[in-house]
Amino acid sequence: MALDRLQTVDMTINMGPQHPSTHGVFRMVLRVDGERILDCEPYIGYLHRGFEKLSENENYHTVLIHLDRTDYLAGFCNEMAYIIALEKLLGVVPSERAEYIRVIMCELNRIASHMMFYGALGADAGALTPFLYAFRERERLQGLFEAVSGARMMFFYFRAGGVRIDLPDGFIRECRRVLDAVKFGIDECDKLLTNNEVFISRTKGIGAISAAAAIDYGCSGPILRACGVKEDVRRSEPYSIYDRLDFDIPVAYSGDTYDRYVVRMEEMRQSIRIVEQCLDQIPDGPFMGKVPRFIRPEPGEVYVRTENPRGDYGIYLISRGGDYPYRVKLRSPCFCNLMALREMLKDCYIADSVMVLGSLDIVLGEVDR
Amino acid sequence: MLGLIKGMIITWKSNWRKPVTVQYPDESLPLAPGYFGFPGLIYDHEVDEPFCVGCQVCARYCPTDAIFVTMKDNPKFKEGTSKRRKIVDSFELNISRCISCNICVEVCNFDAIEMTDTFEAAGYHPDVVAGIPALIEMSEKQRKGVLARPLKETR
Amino acid sequence: MPAWIDAAIRVAIMLFFVFNIVMVLIYMERKVLAHIQQRLGPMRTGFHGILQSPADAIKLMVKEDLAPSSADKWVFRSAPYLVFVPIFMMFVAIPFSSSVVIRHLDMGLFYLVAFSSLSIVGMLMAGWGSDNKYALLGGVRAAAQLISYELPLGISILGVALLTQSLRLGDIASAQYPLPFIFAQPLGFVIFITASLAEMSRTPFDIPVAESELVGGPLVEYSGMRWAVFFLAEYANLVATSAIAVLIFLGGWSWPFYALEGVGWLMQILAVAWFFTKVFALIFVVFWLRGTLPRLRIDQLMTFAWKLLIPFSFVNLLLTAAAVIYGTAILALVWVATACLGYTVYAYARSR
Repeated sequence: MALDRLQTVDMTINMGPQHPSTHGVFRMVLRVDGERILDCEPYIGYLHRGFEKLSENENYHTVLIHLDRTDYLAGFCNEMAYIIALEKLLGVVPSERAEYIRVIMCELNRIASHMMFYGALGADAGALTPFLYAFRERERLQGLFEAVSGARMMFFYFRAGGVRIDLPDGFIRECRRVLDAVKFGIDECDKLLTNNEVFISRTKGIGAISAAAAIDYGCSGPILRACGVKEDVRRSEPYSIYDRLDFDIPVAYSGDTYDRYVVRMEEMRQSIRIVEQCLDQIPDGPFMGKVPRFIRPEPGEVYVRTENPRGDYGIYLISRGGDYPYRVKLRSPCFCNLMALREMLKDCYIADSVMVLGSLDIVLGEVDR
Repeated sequence: MLGLIKGMIITWKSNWRKPVTVQYPDESLPLAPGYFGFPGLIYDHEVDEPFCVGCQVCARYCPTDAIFVTMKDNPKFKEGTSKRRKIVDSFELNISRCISCNICVEVCNFDAIEMTDTFEAAGYHPDVVAGIPALIEMSEKQRKGVLARPLKETR
Repeated sequence: MPAWIDAAIRVAIMLFFVFNIVMVLIYMERKVLAHIQQRLGPMRTGFHGILQSPADAIKLMVKEDLAPSSADKWVFRSAPYLVFVPIFMMFVAIPFSSSVVIRHLDMGLFYLVAFSSLSIVGMLMAGWGSDNKYALLGGVRAAAQLISYELPLGISILGVALLTQSLRLGDIASAQYPLPFIFAQPLGFVIFITASLAEMSRTPFDIPVAESELVGGPLVEYSGMRWAVFFLAEYANLVATSAIAVLIFLGGWSWPFYALEGVGWLMQILAVAWFFTKVFALIFVVFWLRGTLPRLRIDQLMTFAWKLLIPFSFVNLLLTAAAVIYGTAILALVWVATACLGYTVYAYARSR
């Protein structure tokens, strides 16, 4: 039989929205030739909740509860972006103590979020244990969040000019204790996976993207830094008190899954450094600055960028006066990072698709909004 | 092979550590003070009525429309025992819709609502809609032995 | 007693034994994994969850037996049994002590290798019959993987057959009294364990059932009892393969206590206990690996088999053959070859 006359057709595989490794309800349709991916079509919008429209009917503070629910793994970082935008609109200066509290919570949140990434990437690779180790460490941080804000994920904690309530008694001591434990935990996670031959062969060179392509797609955060671009909003456009703090921006150069992983592992250590500095420097004083009784900004608009665990998180806030924002636009880092998936998945295997997706560390609540 | 062996040592070590699991319904982790459970109605023991006057601000701001409130004239005001002209007639919290976001507490002008430690909505025959008695009980359960006064710092 | 009645009784006892040991293994795996991950594992059913496996078994038995409407019904329904029966057939030839066995076969080793490769037909049928793309991919992966790893598996145990000049498992076990074959055949042992991990679809080779991308592979459409039979087969295979490894590399029941070769019933019980101690130790290592390692990718898996394991297994076979002819000193070279294999894996991972 002449083999060239044998017709073979490409198979399409639908992955998601209900799939264990699509990190939420992401859907991608893979066109495959055997095990090799020819094309990948991402479909988003399954979790669309109309956050931006809903925000137009909330007053300026209650928008925050929707922000907590966009990127639900990094609630503090989202609130940070919005609150800075709101403060700029209002012309309010937050109190010194509140600035420190905010940065401490944001950086702890970054560690918790990266821990989630670590566990999920391990689970995507087929290892069960990293997931549980990561959650063990994350649980310690969640305990701190709960003690400070009253909630474990949906914090609703930052306010224009400060924070909702002051840190609880003994927080600094407890936080240092937790940080020591987490430091040990990060080292343990590192030893478990980073040098593992199987893990290296699953991640090195997989889903690589060049720095130019990453910039073209609008990637940011660890994805971009893994390509060798030393870009971090905390350094390039310092907000809050980041310009006073001493920390490094980890960079890797090959832009593949392994480098994204390594960058994030190092970022966790840097976050611990930041939190420790903040704990040393945190001043006493009021946790709220001077805030007008009614939050009614003058007409105007403002765009604020912050560094979310996933990248450059931007809030565009327009006020036309009155109690409600006219428009809240969210520049989602996950969305832009996710759009590079198609490029990354070229000539990968089916098993790589979940690894690359895991290395992007998307949160669908933020992609679909 | 070194990384593999290192990983094996890590898992071997943690094999002998104490498990971190908490067997949840039997034992549970202590909740932090000010934990966001479901909102409860604070009871004014001095006048023997809830602080809530049924002004519906919480119902208006509730992002999930989980709250339904009505107001009535306060009979105790006519008797002169209470300073509240109006009082809550019915206050229904739909537990299955509530997202424990704390907004009702924030917006309440009378400090009549607080977040309670009650967060378990599951049950064999759950009461999906909590009425005034249930909401007061949630609040009372939390502040047993504490003078029933609104906590300023919960705002 | 006619021979067939005797055989039937032995098979029935063995079937009962397999069911029970699988339940023990499932419980053990859950507990070992849990403690590796600092969890508790099953705790509710009975003392420390000891009744969890029977409870699961009962649940699976009473569950509805579903088949997809577009499935190839006959293929779909018969696949689990085609997976289980060959694996159970392996138990027919495995001796647990010098006389606790269903049948001592003169071609025991050959018989085991032959039957261990048959269950792949069932996996392929399950993948095809489910009419599901995930299942199909899983089935094809299973076929590719199981066929590739059949070769190093078979060749690695040939060295042992050369050294003992026998295929009878009892003889092989007894021949290891002063020195078990793991010392004479380290390369064979490493290749055998690696290849049998792949044969059993255990981590890091659980590619056919890869739950993170193929959500269960060929098993994705199965439920209830049929799914339970797959599970049964998987764990029975684990016992069988570990038992083979213990028999041919770790000295079976005879090393290091040669007295357990004795014929008295006490000696037999001690021999069986000692044998299973070794088997469970090996199974613990398999669970431990599962708790540590991620999963390989299919092409890496095939590369590993064809470019690394098969050449090295041939090296092992040649060196062993040379040792049989020219003297056992040559076996020292096998250790060098083992080190070479380890270094190649290390260097490969580094080079990426």
